[in-house]
Amino acid sequence: MTADSEADALLIERIKLGDARAFEMLVVKYQRRIERLIGRMVRDTDLVQDIAQETFIRAYRAIPKFRGESAFYTWLYRIAINTAKKALVDLKRDPLVTESARAGRDDDGDETSRVENELSDGETPEALLASKQVAAAVNSAIEDLSQDLRQAITLREIDGLSYEDIAAVMNCPIGTVRSRIFRAREAIAERLRPLLDTRAGERW
Amino acid sequence: MKDAETGPSWQALSELVDGETDAAQAGRMAAAWRDDAALRERWYAYHLIGDVLRSDELAGGAGDAAFLQRLRVRLAQEPVVLAPVQATTAARRSLGPLRRWARPAAVAAGFVMVAGALTVLRIDAPATSPQLAVQPAPAAVAAVMTAPAAPAALVGPLPVAAADAESRPVDLAGAVLIRDARLDAYLAAHQQFGGGAALGLPAGVLRGAAHEGPTVVGAGAR
Repeated sequence: MTADSEADALLIERIKLGDARAFEMLVVKYQRRIERLIGRMVRDTDLVQDIAQETFIRAYRAIPKFRGESAFYTWLYRIAINTAKKALVDLKRDPLVTESARAGRDDDGDETSRVENELSDGETPEALLASKQVAAAVNSAIEDLSQDLRQAITLREIDGLSYEDIAAVMNCPIGTVRSRIFRAREAIAERLRPLLDTRAGERW
Repeated sequence: MKDAETGPSWQALSELVDGETDAAQAGRMAAAWRDDAALRERWYAYHLIGDVLRSDELAGGAGDAAFLQRLRVRLAQEPVVLAPVQATTAARRSLGPLRRWARPAAVAAGFVMVAGALTVLRIDAPATSPQLAVQPAPAAVAAVMTAPAAPAALVGPLPVAAADAESRPVDLAGAVLIRDARLDAYLAAHQQFGGGAALGLPAGVLRGAAHEGPTVVGAGAR
């Protein structure tokens, strides 16, 4: 079982005991990946959000049937694909104009509207700029970490190693690995905080 | 969630992100989830960092908090999910080594059952099984029918194994009764005493009966 699956299993066990809060934690974890996946099939931003919402609701209803034979994300991925396909079929049968699509059409003469429609997920230029800033802040924060912290966080997040494996690679106790990964995250999160705080409507 | 004295609780959250903690810790984090904005913010930031490190495409997500708030409204309308996960998980864990053998054992038991059923069917249907009906076994015993007047004269070698003779019904339909010419002559000569009995029962017996019963009419009375 991968470290990701271990983490999910702990929360899924809670959800199966009736703890919806644990499900919210999984939503926060997987929302971006699910939206990106749906965004490859559907260009309309509002529709992407609606389908992502429906995906998570369906997953929540079906979670008692989730046996853990595949990774949770693989299971969620299938639900997202099926939900998006169904939404597209429904849309063909009963076409409707969503808010964001209408906004794009109203500005037909405007230069910027064309750019907006060409963005992969129908993101606004502001959102695109914000995501670029987040990526730059994370990469910059990683560069500024000490060698030990940088190696620990990249072995975990990019290479997907367990703490035990990282301890073996870095030749240090597992407690040190726990501490290094945590400190690396805190340092990067500190650099992200001003960006996240300025996002409209972001209230955690 | 943060411990005011030591402050290492965020490290436990970081460990939960990586699945390097236990169920009790996960339960504590989930319990604090709704009331602790700092915990939600960190949980979000820790995962966002991981996503961005894996792909710049995942750096977006403006409105993630609003997405969750909207979903929370819908989740509140859903029936509570309940699945007997702990009992089954515990049982599965305790049966771990047994489960490894369960499948091959079940297959073996299946073979034994089929073999047993076939054996029983073959035994129960000897008429359809020529090997059992006439079995030239080396240990066959000669069943000797003897009459006092003709010892060893009539010998019927019955092809039945000793062990089988005790447990199985024997089909004699196809068996041949071997008759001795001398015996036939003997029987013919004494037929007047035997009352026409084809196989010639002991004459002494018949004679005795004729003498003792005055009403008996037979060859011996003449």
